[in-house]
Parts: sequence; C-alpha cells; structure tokens
Amino acid sequence: MGNFVEGLVNAKLRNMKNMLNVYEVGHVVKVKDYILEVTGLENVGFYERVVVANYSVGYVTAINKNSVMVALLQRAGTIYVGDEVVTTGFDFCAMFSRASMGHIIDIFGVDRLVSEKFENLRPLPIETAPIPIMERTAVSRPFYTGIAGIDLIYPIGYGQRQLIIGDKKTGKTQIALDTIVNQKDKNVICIYIAVNKTKKNIKEMYDELMKKGAMEHTIILAAFNDDEPPVGFFTPYAGLSIAESYMRDGQDVLVVIDDLKSHADIHREISLLVGKIPGRDAYPPDIFYTHSRLLEKGCQHKDGGSITILPIVETRGGDITDYISTNIISITDGQLVLSRKNFEKGQKPAINYGLSVSRLGGAVQESKMKKLGGKTRREFLSYLEVKEVYELANTDEMSPEMQEKLTQGQQIQERLLQYKYSPRNKEEILHMFGEVVKPD
Amino acid sequence: MGVYIGKIIAISELNVQVLINEEKVKYHDILYTEQKGKKLYFEVAEEDGNVVSAIPFQTVIGLKKGVEVYKESDGLEIQYSDEILGKVFDSYGNLIDGQSIENVVKKNVYERNVSLEEINLNGGNLWTGIKVLDFFAPMKKGFKMGLLGGAGVGKTVLIKELINNVYKGFNSNSVFVGIGERSREGKELYDEMTEAGLLDKMGIVFGQMGENSAARSKAIFSGLTLAEYLRDEKGQDVLLFVDNIYRYVQASSELNAELARVPIENGYPANIASAISLVEERINSTEKGSITSFQAIYIPADDVTDQAVQTIQGHLDGQIVLDRKVAEKGLYPAVDVFNTTSKQIDIEKVGERHYRLVEEALRYYSRYAELEEIIAVLGIEELSSMDTKIFYRTRKLRNYFTQPMFVAENYTGVPGKFVDIDDVLEDVENILTGKYDDVDESRFLYIGKYEG
Repeated sequence: MGNFVEGLVNAKLRNMKNMLNVYEVGHVVKVKDYILEVTGLENVGFYERVVVANYSVGYVTAINKNSVMVALLQRAGTIYVGDEVVTTGFDFCAMFSRASMGHIIDIFGVDRLVSEKFENLRPLPIETAPIPIMERTAVSRPFYTGIAGIDLIYPIGYGQRQLIIGDKKTGKTQIALDTIVNQKDKNVICIYIAVNKTKKNIKEMYDELMKKGAMEHTIILAAFNDDEPPVGFFTPYAGLSIAESYMRDGQDVLVVIDDLKSHADIHREISLLVGKIPGRDAYPPDIFYTHSRLLEKGCQHKDGGSITILPIVETRGGDITDYISTNIISITDGQLVLSRKNFEKGQKPAINYGLSVSRLGGAVQESKMKKLGGKTRREFLSYLEVKEVYELANTDEMSPEMQEKLTQGQQIQERLLQYKYSPRNKEEILHMFGEVVKPD
Repeated sequence: MGVYIGKIIAISELNVQVLINEEKVKYHDILYTEQKGKKLYFEVAEEDGNVVSAIPFQTVIGLKKGVEVYKESDGLEIQYSDEILGKVFDSYGNLIDGQSIENVVKKNVYERNVSLEEINLNGGNLWTGIKVLDFFAPMKKGFKMGLLGGAGVGKTVLIKELINNVYKGFNSNSVFVGIGERSREGKELYDEMTEAGLLDKMGIVFGQMGENSAARSKAIFSGLTLAEYLRDEKGQDVLLFVDNIYRYVQASSELNAELARVPIENGYPANIASAISLVEERINSTEKGSITSFQAIYIPADDVTDQAVQTIQGHLDGQIVLDRKVAEKGLYPAVDVFNTTSKQIDIEKVGERHYRLVEEALRYYSRYAELEEIIAVLGIEELSSMDTKIFYRTRKLRNYFTQPMFVAENYTGVPGKFVDIDDVLEDVENILTGKYDDVDESRFLYIGKYEG
C-alpha cells in the first residue's frame, strides 16, 4: 500500500514537472477480465477514452465516488494492478473513413484484411441522439430484395426494420446476402455488421460478395469472436452511426446485423461481470432498450435518406416466443420467420408464411404488386390452413371451390421456390404469380 | 435561474449522484447542470443523507465529477390549458412538433389523484363498430380496456381502428400517450390524424422506444395530466389511448436496476404493484367527466402469467386478447374469444339475447377446439352429424368475426366496415341456428354485416 501511495505522488510530481497535468494519470487497482477499477482519475469524463499500461485502450463506463470503472477495448499485453492509466480528453468514438467501401473494417478504422488503419479517419460518435419523430416520414418506397416471397408477400420498404429469425442453418444470412447482391447499381450503400461470427465465416462472406461484384457498394464491419466483448457490444451502434452519417447526406443505406441474439448475450456477459442486477433469463433489465435504441435508427428521413435494417436473430428449436426474440419482434416492423422443416423439405427460402409478418405490407408496394401480393398472401395462407385440416379428407368428395383452392395453393408454393443468387425483378414476379392468382 | 445545490460525485448511465450543500432537495425535484452550453436535466429519485441520486433525462457522455448542479423546479410540469390540443409533447412536457405556446400555464404532472367520493360509475354504452369486440367485450363510457397481445399480432392496428371508430361517434377530445413504441408508428399516427382532420382534437405525448428509461417512465404522467385537464376543466368524456402501458413498467425496472434496488422475479421492481396503481388509480371518471381508456399491454415472451401483465390486468374492466395462433391463420383482428370479455357480459347489463348468444358461441368455439384434435386423427367423415354442424358453423362464425379495418385499408386494399351491434346479433344468431348452413364459409371472410 505504501508503494502504491508513493507511486501516485510520484506520478503527480513527475507530471507537474513535465507540465503534463492536462492528462491525468491514475492506477489500476482491480482487474476483472476486461473490466478495470482505476483510482486517481478525478477529472475524467463519462465515456472518456483512456490508455492503460502499454497502449491498451479502454473507456470509462462509470464514475464512482472514489474510483472509476474502465472497460477494455483493445488489449496490448498483460495488465497488472498498479499499471498506469492515462486520460486523453476525448470521448470514446468509432473511427471511420469513407474509403472503407469494399473492405472489412472494425470500429477503430482498421482494414482487417491487412491490419492497417485507413487514412483520413474521422471520429464518429458511437451513439447519437435518437432521430426525432418529426424528422421521420412514412416508409413507402419499395425496397427490392429480389426474393418473390418477400417482395410480393411480405414486402420491405426503404427505412423499414425487418427481422430475419430462425434456427441455425435455415438460410438467415443467405437472405441478407441475396438482398445485398440485389442492391447492385441501385445506389444503396450496404453495411454488413458481423457480431460473433467466426473469422472463417467473415472471410467466406467477403469472398462470396466479391465474386458477385457486391463488395463495391458494401462495407463489412466486423467484431471478431476474439475481440474484447465491449467491442462486440459497440460494433452495431458504430455501424448505425456510420449509416446515419450517410443517411444525413441523403443516401439510402441497408444495414444487416448478424446477429442480435449474440449481441444480447455479450451485453448480458458484460452486465453480469460489472454486477448489474439480472432480470428475465439473467439478461439485464435494459436489454429491450439496448436493442430498441439501436433499431430505432432505422427510418425514412424527411430529407430523403433512409436506413433500412435487417437484423438477424438465431432461435433454438424454432421457438420465436423466447424473451430476446419477442423483444426484437416488438421493435421491428415485421419478421421473416425461417423454418427448419421447410428448409429440410427443400422449400427455399424456408420462409414460414404463417408466422411471418410485414407491418407495412401494401403500404410499401406499387399498386400492381400490392393488389397481386395481398390476394396471393390471403389465398396462400388460407390454402396452408385448409391443407392442414383436410389433409386426410378424400379429395374427390370436396366441393369444386375447395379443389380449386388446393390446386392454386400448390401452384403458388411452387412459384415461391427460389435458389440463392437468382433474383427476380418486379416484372418477373408479376408475370409468374399473375398466371395463377387473379387480383380482385 | 435555478438555485445552486451541490456538485456531482458519481456518474453512471442512468444514475448521477450529487453531494448537496445545505439546500433542501426532495423526491421528484428537477435539477440541471450546464454541459457544452446545453442544459442537462435530472430528476431526484433517492436521497441518502447529503447525497441524492438523480436520473438524467439525456445522455451523460462527457459529464465529469465536480460539476455544479442547480435546482430548476419542484417537479415535471406540462401545459394545462386548451393549448394542449393539436400539440405533440415529449415525456417532459416540451413541445416536439415545432409549434409554440404563447400563454404557458403549466401543472405538476404528479399532483392529481381521485378520491373515492369523486368516482362516478354511471356511463352510457359505447359501441366500437368492431364485430368481435362489441359482441364478446361490449363497453361503457369510463371503462378501462386492456389490449393484450404478444409481439406482432396486431395491437397497434386495433388501437388505431378504435381511435378511428370510437372517435367519430364520440365527438370529444382525446389523448394519446405513446410509451416505448415505434417512432415510425408515432409519426404515422400523427400524419394520419392530421389527414383525417382529427389532430386538433387530440393531445399527444410521446416517449418512444429510442428514448432512455427516464423518458419512457415519465410519458404516462404527462399524458394523464392532459386527460385530467379535459375531464376536470372542460367536463368532457375523454378517450385515453395508452400504447403501451407495459413499457412504463419496463422502464421502471431499468431505473430500479440502475438504483441497485433488489428486484423481484424477472427483474421487476419490488414496488411494481404500487407503481402501477399510481397510474391506474388516476384513470377514473368523476361527476365532471369520464375517462375511457384503451391500454395496450405487451406480453413479454408470450407469457400471460407475467407479473407486470397480471398486475395491470387487475385494474381493468375488460380485456381484448390477441392470439398468435389466430393471427397465424390470417384471421384479423386475431382475437382469442375465450379470454376476450368485459364486465358488461352480464345478463342484467347486455340483455338476455346478447348474453345467450355469447354463451352459445363460446360453447361452439370450445367444442370446435376439441373437434379439431379429433379430426387431426380421424378425419372429418368420422364426426357425428351434430358435431359436423358445429364444426362448419364455428368455422363460419370464426370467419364472420374477421373484419376489414378502416386503418388497414392501405395494407389490405379492402375498405373498412363499421357494423351495428343489432346486425351482429342477427348474423350470429343465423349462423348458429343453421340458416346459413348452405353458404360457403369463405363468403363470411372480411365482410361487414352478412348481406347474402
């Protein structure tokens, strides 16, 4: 203890001699994984960036009466109790360069393929104030994914937040990739945010988008599995900050977040580590707000730009009624539910049309698509329901109306089959489905 | 200019501690500090000797220890005059629609409560024109109706339809409180009300889901104060829409955790019952006027036994329950008829005919549920002739209780329908007695009254 106090005094003296007392120096007194308790920083700001020991970087997460808590973002070697912590005078920000287009980047402005920082980096606040209600305007422009089951039946508009939810290996990421590829030459900037994806996953995705010529309009913002957990936590927010900066320039932006269940788990891990009181399923009570403020960045701005978000959530055993899933469903403007059963039957995309919803529906479709889509959806849902009830009934004894319904349902189902990277445009969809469904 | 009261000594995201000097500070006082030329506000939440814990209204990024804190007022206030109509406020009583108010008359948002003597129980019938609601859960003025449903089963559409339908017949002012819901929907509601020429007849408060816990926990108090103005000062029959009351409890849990108070199950605050009563007991009718409220209640993780949901339900006069299984079949409004009811379903209140029909319809529905299981195993052919009738009639009834909505016209392309209760009773009677046995079931889907 004597040494410790002596150290503090010496540091102060040294700094005063060097006229460096603008930057405060404190000392680590406790190390708990990536959470540090630091004393001696009396003038540090909440969320200020600090440098620990040998250039490890962290930020202030709480200011207590006699100490401050620091979360580590980048670790450069082992941290010991007693290590110096220096303040920087800057709020912790993400670093971003507009030259990032076509690259895999992280929130520090590093090109992750070559591990080099971009030039012309500028700081972007990790979190910005909510976009005011009065700056928003109706979501009404159709956003085409190229997938008939989406564009016709559960459509998406510029500025919509549409959840993609389903078990492992049901094609969630593929729908997002298809959508990104389909934005080629449509003047939409795509930001793919990877949270808790393996490095291999990310590289595969990059190669695939490269092959399809889609990296030209895409940024992959990735937190690796072995990054410090606070990095994974902040990555989606930083991604939306980047998107917002483009939107404010009048750009249309598509953001894919893959995936929010992992993000929730990272938040739970950090919260429990710093001793926050757990709530349902041990998630912290602010888990809803964690995602709601993130996804509320999605909007059609009155000045023209927009942010469309496709968050992805992984479920277990097809259960979309668990805590995190229902929270996110209650935030988004609809959900595409993918079912393992359909996937195994070879129905791709494996959309469960009964459970999927678009809260905007026809409001984001052009009039022809709206008329055909509404009718197709009603007919198809009714077919799926009837099919279940009459599965064992004798077809010959059915009323002609019923038989017709069953045939039509099958024809719709066949036309909804679509393999990856085989987009269909509006005209094709209108033609294909117009053959079997007659709008009222 | 405020009174200097002390300095900040600790900061976390939603809890700022202030060491106070000799000035007295109490619960709910509004404090502020200046940061980069902007005022940052706090509300006092807890006192411990000369340290108070305060909840910040905005982000505290960049805030430092030792910053001076001043007291602004004795609590949150909101405009209390006719100027509230056609305006949109945030949770803290500030206008957010770019308009301004010249004669500012404000009132503390926590002050009012209703005594037993004041409460008035007599109110006339209130028909919504929505078949399934008027039939299974008829309403009276002054009722508190819950609107329960998991995520994505159509709560908000139903609320908008109610605003649309009830409003047109009512002709008095209303208040909409948006708590923790989508900003997009908030803006759409505003735009739709403007287009329909209804905006200048309502006051709106928004504390939406992008806002922090403080905003979401305060919106309801500001909204209540607006409704109370219309009831107490204008003597009106007010309609109060709250979307979503659950988010108020949710925000309270978040604040509770920040104050490091021990929670109960699922992280709810230990004072959950009194926190809800504080709000619900203010929503009452008096001799001066009535407040009829529709409160959307989100059901977390589709769990209806949830503590918050159960506690809110204890305050209601009736409830409309939306069911994912019904929504899955494409039947909207996706009402669960077994759990949708109101205090009006009483032989002395709705009369014998209506009451008997509800009973009979429910009997059909419950037999239908059993039959579905039998059919799954044996097929339809194996049913007795009575059961076959029940099966097909219930399917018609189920289809009949779907309805095109005025506010969903954009979505469905089908114009909305307002249906008189007498027509509903007539049609239901005819379906149940077999008059329509020869009509195909699809003819009953998304219609108003049955017209052959």
